[in-house]
Amino acid sequence: MAGAAAAERKAIRVLLVEDEEIHRVLARALLKAAVGGVVLDEAGNGAEAVRRVREAGGGYDLILTDRQMPIMDGHEATRQIRALGVTTPIVGLSSDSLDADVDAFIKAGADHFTPKPLSKEKLNRILAKFNLA
Amino acid sequence: MAAANQLTALLNNMFATGLLDEQFQQLQLLQDPSAPDFVSEVVTLFCQDGERIIAELAKLLEKPTVDFDRVDAFVHQLKGSSASVGAQRVKNTCIQFREVCQQKSRDGCLKTLESVKTEFYDLRGKFQTMLQLERQVQGLYPK
Repeated sequence: MAGAAAAERKAIRVLLVEDEEIHRVLARALLKAAVGGVVLDEAGNGAEAVRRVREAGGGYDLILTDRQMPIMDGHEATRQIRALGVTTPIVGLSSDSLDADVDAFIKAGADHFTPKPLSKEKLNRILAKFNLA
Repeated sequence: MAAANQLTALLNNMFATGLLDEQFQQLQLLQDPSAPDFVSEVVTLFCQDGERIIAELAKLLEKPTVDFDRVDAFVHQLKGSSASVGAQRVKNTCIQFREVCQQKSRDGCLKTLESVKTEFYDLRGKFQTMLQLERQVQGLYPK
């Protein structure tokens, strides 16, 4: 029944910014399992993420971004996305989760931080926090 | 013992000895008829990442001047990959490795790399057995 209710909800559009395949595979599966409908775009680094956000005209419901990536990291991508005037919720992800790691993401303009690895419970909390569940 | 029983016993042992943590159960829960090879896919990616990163670390630590920032970045990657698959002991050894790396100790890094290798190859061997048993179970009980 819960699955049917989820399927009736409007699909949400998510941008996943992650350079490592293992994390992308996990996030894809979790999003598919957690959300009734998800349109998932992926970017392999921060520069690609900024380009995708610009092209989408800020049309994402949620952006999940890793920190350490080649070319442009998650902090800089977050800063540049905010500089575009985009208000989409941005959630920073990292396996480093000291206060300084969290603060750096928030300072860059992220709304929230979740330590890796991503799990069903963590993703559900993110979706609930931004009224996407 | 039937393959299914062997598989259960192997996984129970891997959890009991701390090789795996609850994150691996997350992967098992995500495997369903629409993604029947999900666990195998993630485990294979982890094994490939681990081998590549261990080789890179060995090369970096052989150089006359060690770039500890690069060493740390590779260990960070392996830590993240281990955490995603629930490879608890590999992840914990990576945490130790990063502490040693911050002290910029080549000898410490080389010693900890050996610990990472031991934990990684032990787990990889068990994962290979697990995947073989899964294939046998699927072969015995085709969908």
